[in-house]
Amino acid sequence: MSISQKEIQTLARLSRLEFSEEEQEKFIPDFEEIIAFADRINGEVVGDTSSIKEVAARTIAWEDLREDEVTDSLPNEKITSNVEAQDGYFPVRRVVK
Amino acid sequence: MKYQLVSGLETHVELATKTKIFCGCTTAFGGEPNTHCCPVCTGQPGALPILNKKVVEYAIRAGLATHCTINTTTHLDRKNYCYPDLPKAYQISQFDKPLCEHGYVELESGKRIGITRIHIEEDAGKLVHESGYTLIDYNRGGVPLIEIVSEPDISSPEEAKEYVEKLQLIMRYIGVSDCKMQEGSMRCDVNISVMPEGSKEFGTRTEIKNMNSISYIDKAMRYEYERQCEVLNDGGKIVQATLRYDEKTGETSVMRTKEDAQDYRYFPEPDILTVVIPESKVEEIKSQLPELPLEKLNRYIDELKINPATARLLYKYKKVCDFVEKVISLGASVKNAVNLTTGVLYSKLPTEEDKENFALPVTAEETAKLIKLADEGKINITLAQQTLSKMAEEGNPVSAYIKEEDLAGVDDSELEEICKQAIENNPAAAADFKGGKEKAIFALYGFVKKATQGKADIKKADAILKKLILG
Ligand SMILES: [Zn+2]
Repeated sequence: MSISQKEIQTLARLSRLEFSEEEQEKFIPDFEEIIAFADRINGEVVGDTSSIKEVAARTIAWEDLREDEVTDSLPNEKITSNVEAQDGYFPVRRVVK
Repeated sequence: MKYQLVSGLETHVELATKTKIFCGCTTAFGGEPNTHCCPVCTGQPGALPILNKKVVEYAIRAGLATHCTINTTTHLDRKNYCYPDLPKAYQISQFDKPLCEHGYVELESGKRIGITRIHIEEDAGKLVHESGYTLIDYNRGGVPLIEIVSEPDISSPEEAKEYVEKLQLIMRYIGVSDCKMQEGSMRCDVNISVMPEGSKEFGTRTEIKNMNSISYIDKAMRYEYERQCEVLNDGGKIVQATLRYDEKTGETSVMRTKEDAQDYRYFPEPDILTVVIPESKVEEIKSQLPELPLEKLNRYIDELKINPATARLLYKYKKVCDFVEKVISLGASVKNAVNLTTGVLYSKLPTEEDKENFALPVTAEETAKLIKLADEGKINITLAQQTLSKMAEEGNPVSAYIKEEDLAGVDDSELEEICKQAIENNPAAAADFKGGKEKAIFALYGFVKKATQGKADIKKADAILKKLILG
């Protein structure tokens, strides 16, 4: 399967990453290789899945859902311990103009 | 050319559970920033979400109350997008297997607005924009929401307004949300397109995001309808876009167009197992559904014989209905219970919100006691009104205002004497009444009321007056 430069650009945008033209072109063979590998897994390892009705083998029963009972939250210092909190908030670069 | 408006609404409703959708953090409104948070709702690596049972239950309730079918095998999906209000860079939502599908909300006209689906999802955090940076509070992050998606069945701003009001009322009746638009516990995205009148083919649509008041929805729809008509009449084309509504200017502006439309790359949420809901559970929830707004309205009109206009004044407020029904069940007459509530008590509750909250210091028990005195003719209706008014302000029981001796009323011979005086003092009224002018007797009632300070039983006075005049 071939990958276009436009698809690379879309993926980069969705991942919030920026690449030069040359970098984008370099990715094309890489991506093709990755997809070929996934195709191989699909075809040879997983094989024909048409007989499998639903992948919902793993289910949770009603009783095992969580009851609506409040448990303690973490203190603010702990929740924000990985950042330089401002008045208890997580600060990031301004996201609106 | 004349164009027909075509609109569908996506309504987000915050569920009134105690805890968040995937963790035990409280959903309480407010609180210091980032104090209602844990590793799960802040998306720390390795934290595992566990679905809140009540969220599923409430969503099923909402689905049943809007005539949806319930998918008893349902799963959650990841909706990927990158914005700081989402700590995980994805929102856990539902994509291809929503919990509820194919329902409707019925308008007064009998027209049904189709409900495409209702799904459960988590709310995002709150952003505060300061100069140079944005501050994030994740207290709202992970609060459970249902998103109710309507069919494009709405064809006027009036219908949109009624649809939102009906939805709000239903959600409040079934107790799954307080639906307070000003606090953000209910908000709407409005899809709008226009097509030539009589056409069957929808035009290109735009979507106005995050409307938090019914009057803004109305204004924004009117503005956007006019704008689209103008573009088409000028030979232009509608560009598919997401819009925001500016409350100050009353205009819509473009947030993003189709070119930079989001690609959410939905996929099944691997951290949460597929939920299997027993049919018996759905049946149980169904059997516990309270009377719905439209059912109540019809019962008030058909069974309690309340006139339709008054019944409408009552059924919009769940707490008022509960109050009136209790007063009636304690033996008060329907007529007086309803009239005193919409007359006296509503005058103390000027706003919609006041009536919705119905926080008066008066109990149904005391109100019923008072009304029964009026029903039995022991006090007249004016005194009942005045007393209820004081009770609603001061919170005292009936006995604080009406003493046993007042209830003795006016004895019969005394009442007859007063009636005689009424006729003597109003000879013209008495003559008019004798001559067939029935309303003339009101002047005589007035005299009797005044002379007895409202204690006389007017029914009795009426009989005496008629006997005296007509012989
Ligand atoms: Zn949490």
